[in-house]
Amino acid sequence: MKKYTLKRLFTSLFTLLAILLVLFILMQLMPGSPFNDEKLNDDQRAALYAKYGLDQPVLVQFFRYVGNMLRGDYGVSYNISKNTPISQLIQTRLPTSIYIGGAAVALGALMGLILGLIAALKHDTVWDTLATVISVIGVSVPSYVFALALSYALGFRLQWFPMLYNTQLATQSSVLPSIALSMFTMASIARFTRTEMLEVLDSDYMLLAESKGISGPALIFRHALRNALIPIITVLAPLIVDLMTGSLVVEKIFAIPGVGSLLVNAIQSNDYNVVISLSFIYSAMYIAIMLVVDILYGIIDPRIRLAKEGD
Amino acid sequence: MADKEKILDIKDLDISFKTTAGVVHAIRGVDIDLFTGETVAIVGESGSGKSVTMKAAMGILASNATVNRGTIQFSYHHADGSPATVDILAQPKKWIRDHINGKRIAMVFQDPMTSLNPTMSIGKQIMEGMIWHFKTPKAEAYAKAVDLLREVGIDDPEKRMKNYPHQLSGGMRQRVVIAIALSCNPDLLICDEPTTALDVTIQAKIIELIRRLQKERGISVIYITHDLGVVAKVADYVNVMYAGKIVEKGTVDEIFYDPRHPYTWGLLSAMPDLDTADERLYTIPGSPPNLLYEKPGDAFAPRNRYALVVDDKAEPPMFKITEDHYVASWLLDPRAPKVEMPAELKARIARMKEEAAKHGGEL
Amino acid sequence: MAKKQPVLAAAQTAYVPADADFVLKNVDGALMLDTNFASQSFWKDVLVRFFRKKSSVLGLALIIIITLMSIVGPGMNAYTYDGQQLTQKNLAPRVQGLENYGIFDGSETMHTTSGNKTVNNYVEKDLTDVYYWFGSDNFGRDIWTRTWSGARVSLIIAAAAALIDMVIGMSYGLISGYFGGRVDMVMQRFLEIMNGIPRLVIVTLLLLVLEPGMLTIIFALMLTEWVGMSRIARAEMLKLKEQEFVLASRTLGAGKFFIIFREVLPNIIGPIITQVMFSIPTAIFTEAFLSFVGLGIPVPRCSLGSLISEGFNAFTTHPYQIIPPVIAMALLMFSFNLVADGLREALDPKMKEM
Repeated sequence: MKKYTLKRLFTSLFTLLAILLVLFILMQLMPGSPFNDEKLNDDQRAALYAKYGLDQPVLVQFFRYVGNMLRGDYGVSYNISKNTPISQLIQTRLPTSIYIGGAAVALGALMGLILGLIAALKHDTVWDTLATVISVIGVSVPSYVFALALSYALGFRLQWFPMLYNTQLATQSSVLPSIALSMFTMASIARFTRTEMLEVLDSDYMLLAESKGISGPALIFRHALRNALIPIITVLAPLIVDLMTGSLVVEKIFAIPGVGSLLVNAIQSNDYNVVISLSFIYSAMYIAIMLVVDILYGIIDPRIRLAKEGD
Repeated sequence: MADKEKILDIKDLDISFKTTAGVVHAIRGVDIDLFTGETVAIVGESGSGKSVTMKAAMGILASNATVNRGTIQFSYHHADGSPATVDILAQPKKWIRDHINGKRIAMVFQDPMTSLNPTMSIGKQIMEGMIWHFKTPKAEAYAKAVDLLREVGIDDPEKRMKNYPHQLSGGMRQRVVIAIALSCNPDLLICDEPTTALDVTIQAKIIELIRRLQKERGISVIYITHDLGVVAKVADYVNVMYAGKIVEKGTVDEIFYDPRHPYTWGLLSAMPDLDTADERLYTIPGSPPNLLYEKPGDAFAPRNRYALVVDDKAEPPMFKITEDHYVASWLLDPRAPKVEMPAELKARIARMKEEAAKHGGEL
Repeated sequence: MAKKQPVLAAAQTAYVPADADFVLKNVDGALMLDTNFASQSFWKDVLVRFFRKKSSVLGLALIIIITLMSIVGPGMNAYTYDGQQLTQKNLAPRVQGLENYGIFDGSETMHTTSGNKTVNNYVEKDLTDVYYWFGSDNFGRDIWTRTWSGARVSLIIAAAAALIDMVIGMSYGLISGYFGGRVDMVMQRFLEIMNGIPRLVIVTLLLLVLEPGMLTIIFALMLTEWVGMSRIARAEMLKLKEQEFVLASRTLGAGKFFIIFREVLPNIIGPIITQVMFSIPTAIFTEAFLSFVGLGIPVPRCSLGSLISEGFNAFTTHPYQIIPPVIAMALLMFSFNLVADGLREALDPKMKEM
């Protein structure tokens, strides 16, 4: 387990470094240096270059860049909000996005688990068909279609919830975007839970547990669900990526002041520095989530936790 | 307990499965009975319905199975000693789980690699049944589980209690499965090919273990196997099963020394032994029938060298040879031509008898 | 042992054997023939299982219909996808024949703060002979034509991306799995790093560097989708490479790449096709997402995604503009998922049946 954790930690750090390298190279390639102002003369420019370390060898610049990024110093925005530090831009936006995204994951995972369990336990019945249809629709219809439908029906026509995000009514405003975002997670988890549960229910050890006389919730939760959950944890991480992608559009539809809409704005207004900083933040969050999920997986599954060192 | 008390009585069991390919008529009128303290073996090729019959007795048939006919009478004693007999097939699933499974009938499965829960320590898996059925306090269950592990021959049981299945070898796991089966003191133990998935050297040890436990605890055992060598070692009675039917049943001596059904002849001839080195090993031609397509008459006829014309027209009834010995073959009909078992088999049986005499009666 | 007296076998076969029946058949020769083999080939079995499932047939039918419509649909009326008629903008759907039944008659209900009112712009603008089956957009372009040509673009992008990532991912996975050892180690670490970068980030960064357009989108999809495919190919390879037929081929002196692509590949084509089917809806979705963010197909060409993006701007006032592309896309993704599901189950019936 120790070796497994270390290995995962190492891979994660290496991935982060690789991403930083790519971002760094992109930064160098991007047109428009911040100091290309025609009003500057050569001396002033050289002074600025020296101040920001741009006269140093590339490798030194890279490590300085890595240091800055890790410390949270992402530089300034050029177009969206001229010369505002990016860290300041995202300061309020990141919590909003995490709040909505987190709610969507929690909602989706819970609903998906329930739906998948029902489908598997009531295999080959109307319930199974119903749950399957819901989950196929959930993975087939993009989250922003749900977002549009919800915002039109519940926001615009019925006016149950704010159609656009309102910082004064943060909780109510988060309901529709969270539901829209959670659909894909829910559907995927439901599908996966169903197949995993069916496989587990069909296994020899379930037969042994039944032949011991175990029945009811003890059979389902103690024996089946635990074994089915282990592989389900592994799909959570990729689902969170889809959620990040979805959040960009959903934030735009509901006009949510989050990092997703910031990224869309940055892309549309060619604010490279913001795009690159947000890419780094997205990657870092994703890598952290993957790491946590993998370690969690190791803790839950004794086959990994108790694997002989060196396997 | 009066001797020769019947513990399990399966009558006219008929089961079919609904599969995507069609309805498979897997069990077609099976009668099996078993007396307290005795061992019955059910022998047959894979797919002959051995396991399905016993799963029916445990109430753990797959959900696409339908029981068309039959009863499974199981006799047991209540905690106060009063006897009771129930038809397991007529009981709701929940009742079977609470009163039969684990507590009175326990099962050992074929593959110990897959029959243990991979995410539960083996200690917990052994203790679970006791705590579930008898509300045994945890400390007591723990002590009992350690004793059981020692009883099934596992070293250092305290340490093993904390282990997970993947940390044990196949033979060890099968011992754990046996310990789980014994944890609630069942009256009847069903062993579904308990040694098939194990190394040959381990096989003998596991069989020996089951035999010892049976003697010590006085439980009845049903052995499902395709290995006649195992049968000879453990069984009192033998049921030979083919395509969802019992084709021959009798005491172990009758089946081995006086087999009457051509299929039993085939099984016995196909058994490798040391003395037949110069002969070709006999195999039964063809393969078991696909029960998806039922044909009239005797299901074994297409593979039977001694098939009669009538075999394609009508199913043979059970002919009685002795009080215990029954055969379902038209060859036993008085009108049938006299057919002798193959000469090679005759010679082999003679040799077996000789061997047995040398070793004092046991096969 | 108390036993029933011999009874006749089964009630339904009331055949009473006659003496003449009791003769040996003497069929020694025929005995050696084993006629009890699988009655149909593997692929036939798969097809039967696939077509038995209603949902997969529905999915397949929908895919065929939408594909056909994306080919012939744009030519079914006189409009072109980029033809603008600024005098005929924002017209509601109107279909010949159906208009007499009160539906698709070109009228739309406007929701305003002062209440709802129904208007028919065809009547008001005196366009009696003009029909836009799905309505027209803000530039007076025909939404019917644009929807089907958008579906065409989306399908081309998705199919191209899926095929390319199949080739790349499959080769990567097969090679990594077959060679194992250090090759596998290095290839898998690289894959882990690729997998560690969110798809969103890869696509966004790529589109910052390259010109937006069909090829760029296909390239971006290819870069992000091959990982899943390679995992499947590798897992299958690991399973198969120890099997006897591969060993036999190796002992016969077959080359490495012969074994990989001629011996193993045909045996894993099932899971691969299933994965392609699953990656097509992902590709459609990603393309739509990119268009929505503004990195999609450049105007005036359109894809389902860009149509939805355009429709979004007016979706509270003219909801009919967003409905056709949304439905087309949802149906496409839905049907590809159904087909993929059906295929997966047909190829690998998981449930034991006895």
